[in-house]
Amino acid sequence: MAIRDDFEVAAGQVRLVLQRFALTILVVLAFAAMLIGKADTVLVENARVLALDLASPALEAIARPVAVANRTIADLKEFASLREENARLREENARLQTWQTAARRLENENTRLRDLAQFREGPEASFITARIVGDSVSAYVRGALLNVGRQAGVAPGQAVVTGEGLAGRIAEVGEHSARVLFVTDVNSRLPVQIERTRERAILAGDNSGLMRLTLAQTLQGVQRGDRIVTSGHGGSFPVGIPVGEVVQADGGSVKVRPFADFSRLEFVRVVDYGVTGLVGSGAGPTVPAASPKGR
Amino acid sequence: MRADGVLAMLDRWGRLLTPGTVLLLFVLLTFAPLRVPYVADLLPLLPALAVFQFSLATPERLPGPLLLVMGVLLDLLLGGPGGPVGVSALGFVLIRAAVIDNRRYLVGVPFLFQWIGFCLLILGYVFLVWIFTAIWTWTDLDATPAFAQYVVAVVAYPVIGPLLARVRPRDPLNVPEASRGTAQPGETTP
Repeated sequence: MAIRDDFEVAAGQVRLVLQRFALTILVVLAFAAMLIGKADTVLVENARVLALDLASPALEAIARPVAVANRTIADLKEFASLREENARLREENARLQTWQTAARRLENENTRLRDLAQFREGPEASFITARIVGDSVSAYVRGALLNVGRQAGVAPGQAVVTGEGLAGRIAEVGEHSARVLFVTDVNSRLPVQIERTRERAILAGDNSGLMRLTLAQTLQGVQRGDRIVTSGHGGSFPVGIPVGEVVQADGGSVKVRPFADFSRLEFVRVVDYGVTGLVGSGAGPTVPAASPKGR
Repeated sequence: MRADGVLAMLDRWGRLLTPGTVLLLFVLLTFAPLRVPYVADLLPLLPALAVFQFSLATPERLPGPLLLVMGVLLDLLLGGPGGPVGVSALGFVLIRAAVIDNRRYLVGVPFLFQWIGFCLLILGYVFLVWIFTAIWTWTDLDATPAFAQYVVAVVAYPVIGPLLARVRPRDPLNVPEASRGTAQPGETTP
């Protein structure tokens, strides 16, 4: 009986101490979490992936009604300018028709020249289409969460593209989810080249809408309107994915506006490049029949 | 009698679980790919808003350890590479402590005072997250988007705050012991 009383007294004292120092303990725990995160990045990475996988069904459930709402709002906006939009599209269509003719002619010519030169292209890319289930956009991060993961063949470092151009790269992969880091994120460094001059450079994000072109040997040759494409250096990025357009080039700083419109992304494609293995030059008759084309 | 008992139990559990559930929902809602301008800016500060509001109304149902877990979850989900995991948790815990310590200025007073309290505390929270993220990633972070979010949250508070909980001007002594804070009898407005 006495032991029990002693125990209760001790427990009461412990509870009192805990209550008195509750705030201190919680603050210390929060700091400990931050320090652990700094010290053991692998652990945090695993925790992030786990959290991502656990939250992704809920996020997907939220994403669908949100997408419907977004679309409704966009539709309402478009109603207002339907007539102008139609006229603009008709004009654009006419212009694109001419381009298509030119592109067909060039493609034919290209194929013939490649045959002649026995040119072997790099690995052929396959695509994984994904829905964006979450915006990982806080004040300090530019990214998104996708509903595909390792099971669909997604791996860290793969390129993520939209219809317009490169959106970013895969940063973390869970079983059924993945995190994209947009090219505009402050952590993004992308090896690119200037399409006109073929000069290589690094494109760095800074969390704003524009990106900075750095490490180019001569920035003088860069003009406004120059297209920036991926150079394919350093990893699993294909060559020549359009990234953006130079909007400002004066003196030392060159600013690039991304082609991808991050404010209306709903579906993206993850470029699975390199897993497919080396395949011959597309439609040419020299391709061995047994070539494993990833599908 | 029996139905009464079940209903009473549901009621009790509902009250008990509401703040935590709403906070979890807001943490997840932070990622909703909403493209509406201004509204999308509000989302990242919604969890902090919920912590403030529930700490005001029913702090005993939003205990510190739960805030710690929610904050870490938010950081894990939201954080970019290299960002600090746990800074939101620290912010949540500090908001709760600050609200409880200053209940006498925040409860039973005109709504304007509550709003001012919210402005100050959330400004502290935004600054805390900014400075820690800047130190952790060792970059010169642009604080403009964070400030834009702050302004939107401050403007939206009068709309969302009262919806979250029935925050009536209550006498602090009419609440459970744990959430009474430093308030003394006779301190509040009648």
